[in-house]
Amino acid sequence: MRTGRPLSREAVIGLSLAGAYLLFAAVFWAYPFFWLARLSVTQWRFFDEPVFTGARNFLRTVRDPQFLLSLWNVVRFLLFYLPIAVAGALTVAFGLRHVGRGKAFVALCFLLSNVSSGVAMALVFTKIFSTTGPLNALVFDWVGVRIPWTNDPTLAMLAIALVVAWKFVGYYGLILYSGLLAVPRDIYDAARLDHAGPLTRLVRITLPLLNAQLMMVLVFAILVSFGLFTEPFLITGGGPADGTATPQMLIYETAFRRLQPSHAATMSILVSAVSYALIAAARRLFERKVVLA
Amino acid sequence: MNRRDLLVTGGLALLAGCSPRAERRRADVIRLWVAPNAAEEAFWKIAVGRWNAAGRGLPVRFTTIPTAGNSEDTVLSALVAGTEPDLCTNVFSGFAVQLAALGQVIDLATQGGFTDLVAHRRMDAIMPGWTRGGRVAAMPIYSSPTLIWWRGDLLEAAGLSAPPATYDEVYRFCDRYVRPGARYGMQVVAGRSWQDRWFDFIAFYYAASGGRPYLDGDRALYANAAGLAAAGFMDAMFRRGWTALDFDAEEPLVTGLAAGATRGPWDVERYARIYPDTLARIAVGPVPAVQSGEGVGPGSTFSDSKGAVIFRSSLVAQQAFEFLAWVLGDEAMNLLWLQRTGLSPARGDLLDNPRFAGYYRTNAIARAYAEHVATARPPALSEHTIDVQKIMTSRLVEPLMTGSAAPAQALADAVARTDRMLEAQA
Repeated sequence: MRTGRPLSREAVIGLSLAGAYLLFAAVFWAYPFFWLARLSVTQWRFFDEPVFTGARNFLRTVRDPQFLLSLWNVVRFLLFYLPIAVAGALTVAFGLRHVGRGKAFVALCFLLSNVSSGVAMALVFTKIFSTTGPLNALVFDWVGVRIPWTNDPTLAMLAIALVVAWKFVGYYGLILYSGLLAVPRDIYDAARLDHAGPLTRLVRITLPLLNAQLMMVLVFAILVSFGLFTEPFLITGGGPADGTATPQMLIYETAFRRLQPSHAATMSILVSAVSYALIAAARRLFERKVVLA
Repeated sequence: MNRRDLLVTGGLALLAGCSPRAERRRADVIRLWVAPNAAEEAFWKIAVGRWNAAGRGLPVRFTTIPTAGNSEDTVLSALVAGTEPDLCTNVFSGFAVQLAALGQVIDLATQGGFTDLVAHRRMDAIMPGWTRGGRVAAMPIYSSPTLIWWRGDLLEAAGLSAPPATYDEVYRFCDRYVRPGARYGMQVVAGRSWQDRWFDFIAFYYAASGGRPYLDGDRALYANAAGLAAAGFMDAMFRRGWTALDFDAEEPLVTGLAAGATRGPWDVERYARIYPDTLARIAVGPVPAVQSGEGVGPGSTFSDSKGAVIFRSSLVAQQAFEFLAWVLGDEAMNLLWLQRTGLSPARGDLLDNPRFAGYYRTNAIARAYAEHVATARPPALSEHTIDVQKIMTSRLVEPLMTGSAAPAQALADAVARTDRMLEAQA
């Protein structure tokens, strides 16, 4: 019988540490993933044995108008969310650069919204955006009209985008701020000598050199938009006219309210595929390799 | 213990933590889950204690439904994991129908003692709302009709001595009370999610139709005169600016932002705790309809009712039903339920039975709800409740709110889409 060399102490420790992670990944990632894949090609209603149905779930899902609308809603959300979040994050980043003392405290304050409870925030914003709420009372006193923030499909999506942007702007701002710190001062000095104005410096130097951080923010924003649940669920309930219904809301309702887990599993696989494709497209379109010679 | 032993022990502990905790089915005890709220838990503690002390049958062991969210998700998870109890309360009729369609609950109508229990509680008018194809998936425990709470002082200031009962009376009151953009007559739409339809259109439809069903298996039934009347009422309130699109910012009855709003008996305890002054000024009225129910008895409305189911996996189904029948059939237990929870037991003799007279004599709001228990109707028994009510929201209620469609057009569209959806699901 062949006996190998005994494992070194470091190898045992390494295997033990990696083993814990591998076990965790196997139980909480691999097992659900394979179960999801199995569900998507079977018919199962929680209590019976899954019956193989081939591509039926996929065909049903891609023809489901509610599912297609929820994907379109993600695109509508991104159209509002991206400009608000990126502009807000850039403002935070540039602002932080000009803060003298207490920079860490200011940065932490921006992060507070990110770690706040989504449910609590949604409840607060529901009151703020109400047609009888304080914001509308102010507008009504000024101009005599009330803005139907949560009762018009476009305004409702804008309201959701504002709430989510408020939550993530500080976080994205810190990412961009770390990028700003890495831009060498010499480049700006040289640009000034060449009489480059602030806008030229922003467009020609800062933004190109922040490409890596901007891409990171873009990828995070896309992931957030596909994972959106709490805010639309609590603020608009997916309405009006399903105009703020998101894929996650639909998946939840399909699995646990309609009791159709196979259909929900197929939706989740398609949502993953679409989000992956969108991220890949965004990287191909906007990612640049930036090298400081 | 060396390092290797430590790792092995840790690993085993981890695996032990992941092992299923499903209890094996037992034939010597009835396991009961009850609603996770203090009032109901207190009632079941006494009821179970008395049952066990009297030795009437198998002992009962109860816990609250172990949920941090909603009961339905927890029950579903328990069924998948095989940890469900024998008997579970807090189940709404639509969920019971879903469980029955999945073959997870027994037909209670086949249990010995069922007919006697229904007769004893005088539930003849109540049971049709819980029966589908002659099968009863859940036994109703309590019935919570929705009624309109009005600020009595505001009605009086506007010259009304009693809450409005008809559309015309509501309109007349609104005409006197409303100040455009500043205060409204009545909250008409309960909210944006599909569940909210129970508390607005469906309640208005039941009131207008005398409790006729709005859904029958694969067909929507509300494209009729009653549906049009209910939709017309909602439309009129919005078009004349007598109600707001939402009242999310504050409790409208407290500030008088709206003088009336749909409320259930569960709100009594909340108001008593947070707004006792407002509660003292509340006058409870029926859900308005074209004509008042005066002289012909209380009008119909929606009833948010919950019942109990017995799971198919139970080894003690008949014994569990005997326990349920004892709790629901015993009038002392029913009175205790009323006193502890303030929710009306689902029985048709609440106001005739002398055992409950004392309670209702001293509690005007509870009495108003009790008057409607027999005529209030539960949700349609459908597996497709969400889709039916989502269509009702997006095709009927929201167009009425924004004025983008006339009532008849919105009604026809909602019904046609519901029928198409039900046909496709079938």
